[in-house]
Amino acid sequence: MTSRIPIILDGDPGHDDAIAWMLAKANDKLEILACTSVSGNQSIEKTSYNARRVMTLLGIDAPFAMGRERPLFGEPVHAGNIHGDTGLDGPALPEPAFEALPLSAVELMAKTITDSSEPVTIVATGPLTNVGALLILHPELKPKIAQISIMGGGLDHGNWTPAAEFNILVDPEAADVVFKSGLSLTMAGLDVTLKALVFPEDFERIRALGNPIATVVAEWLDFFYGFHRSIGYAGAPVHDAVAVAALVKPEILTIKEYFVQIETSGDFCRGATIADHYGFNGQQPNTHAVVGIDREGFIDLLAEAAAWYGKEQA
Amino acid sequence: MNPIPVILDCDPGVDDAIAFLLARQLPQLNVLAITSVAGNVGLEHTTYNALGLVEFLDWDVPVYQGASGPIFRKRVEASSVHGANGMAGFDLPHSRTTAAMPAWDAIHHIALQQQGELELIAIGPLTNLAMAFLKYADLPGLIKRIVIMGGATAAGNTTPAAEFNIYADPEAADIVFTSGVPVHMCGLDMTMKALMTPAELDQVGALGSKEAVFFRDVVQDIVGFMKRIGILGINMHDPAAVLYAADDSIFKAYPAGIRVETKGLITQGETVTDLFSDAKWQKNAFAVMDIDRDAFVMKVFELMKKY
Repeated sequence: MTSRIPIILDGDPGHDDAIAWMLAKANDKLEILACTSVSGNQSIEKTSYNARRVMTLLGIDAPFAMGRERPLFGEPVHAGNIHGDTGLDGPALPEPAFEALPLSAVELMAKTITDSSEPVTIVATGPLTNVGALLILHPELKPKIAQISIMGGGLDHGNWTPAAEFNILVDPEAADVVFKSGLSLTMAGLDVTLKALVFPEDFERIRALGNPIATVVAEWLDFFYGFHRSIGYAGAPVHDAVAVAALVKPEILTIKEYFVQIETSGDFCRGATIADHYGFNGQQPNTHAVVGIDREGFIDLLAEAAAWYGKEQA
Repeated sequence: MNPIPVILDCDPGVDDAIAFLLARQLPQLNVLAITSVAGNVGLEHTTYNALGLVEFLDWDVPVYQGASGPIFRKRVEASSVHGANGMAGFDLPHSRTTAAMPAWDAIHHIALQQQGELELIAIGPLTNLAMAFLKYADLPGLIKRIVIMGGATAAGNTTPAAEFNIYADPEAADIVFTSGVPVHMCGLDMTMKALMTPAELDQVGALGSKEAVFFRDVVQDIVGFMKRIGILGINMHDPAAVLYAADDSIFKAYPAGIRVETKGLITQGETVTDLFSDAKWQKNAFAVMDIDRDAFVMKVFELMKKY
């Protein structure tokens, strides 16, 4: 057996974070070393509670620590309209079987990376607050970070504002630190994630698998699609799962190299990921930007992951 | 159908010159005035070139001089692309002089005469239009539509975020976008597809008229510049906007909310475009996103054959 990629899951669950973590746990190419929560889709209390519930449901047996209450600068922003009041509305979930460690998310990340014999990959599916703080506080750990796979941003446009995608808008300063870090960055932004649509017939395929995890995943999709259907989507854009797919099944993705900068100021552009699209400005690319996806292959990946839990429990 | 009464606001400029060649022959447009603005090069050159072009085309249209630089900023120019005189070194001598009024007064004066039917085609920085809106409170009600070459919904050329005409005077551009008059933005999304190849340029030159030969020759320096940055041919930014103003049937445009970033650290001059975000900005504009390139080139040939 080949060695697994050691990863830290950093997110703000959130339906699509939860599905991303479901995918990560089921995939034998990944080994989850730690999980951390961040303020984003909901408050840090709610995303942390959700993270522990999701880890308990999925059987992720890894240390967990909570992130800070707010972005590096500025006030927290949440997305209760999309993920519901709990931040993970929909199916009933088990109560957490464990507590958060008495460490901050940044301390747990630093400890995990320090203790790992191999460089660690960070999968960041929320605002980049924890990752940015880690890079500010522990620049010496950079050589031990293999890459950062991010769900966030958009080369062409935003969603929360015309210019900015939610995760980057919530903490542009943290994102700026990450994009200037020189580390290997994979960016699954709106350019691809709005194409990573899971259609209602795909929900049924997953539901029909019959195992308890698959049932919960289908019900998460039911809930997540409710909001998106109301604004005209044909399916649920499972944004965060693309950041995991980039690690385990890159062959279904179209990836282009860009020089990407973060706007942290401005009347309209705060939180925008600005790519040098035409390359007229001559900077070296710093980002592997995912811009396309084989949707069918992505659905297969999700369904196979959900099916894995049935075999696991058999 | 009566031709559309228009004012052409411009900063000639090599591709502005091509826009003149087409506008002169477009039956859908009645060009009542040309207004000059600093942009690709300084105002003394853009005004001189505008006068030279109307004389070269034997065109009976007045030229009004406009702003010598942006409202709040230092002037930037694109002489590295258009040459020091803005016309790739071509001199267009003439015996004409500019009309007495400044550009913004002319825009208002003509708008009043046209009783609400006037359209503006602006293919340089938007300083003159902004000055007109700042001076005349009744102007928005007198202008039917503004077609601009400028901006981009996603990616710039002067900076990663900003296109040249908007970057040159972002505050003026935002004044225009918030004027209340619908703005049709012919930005890089479309104009980067309005490419004429070197072979097509040669075919235009082979038509043989002095105008056709000028068309081919004046763009050659830019063709060389484009080749060095990896593009074979020349993007017909300004001509495409003029054709759009005359006949939008070969274009695709979508209603959009557009504002101009004037304060960002790396995004000043970005035309921030809301096509479908959750913010749901008021639709004050149309983003022109696409062009049928082959049909565009055909139209260019049709018009150039009239010389």
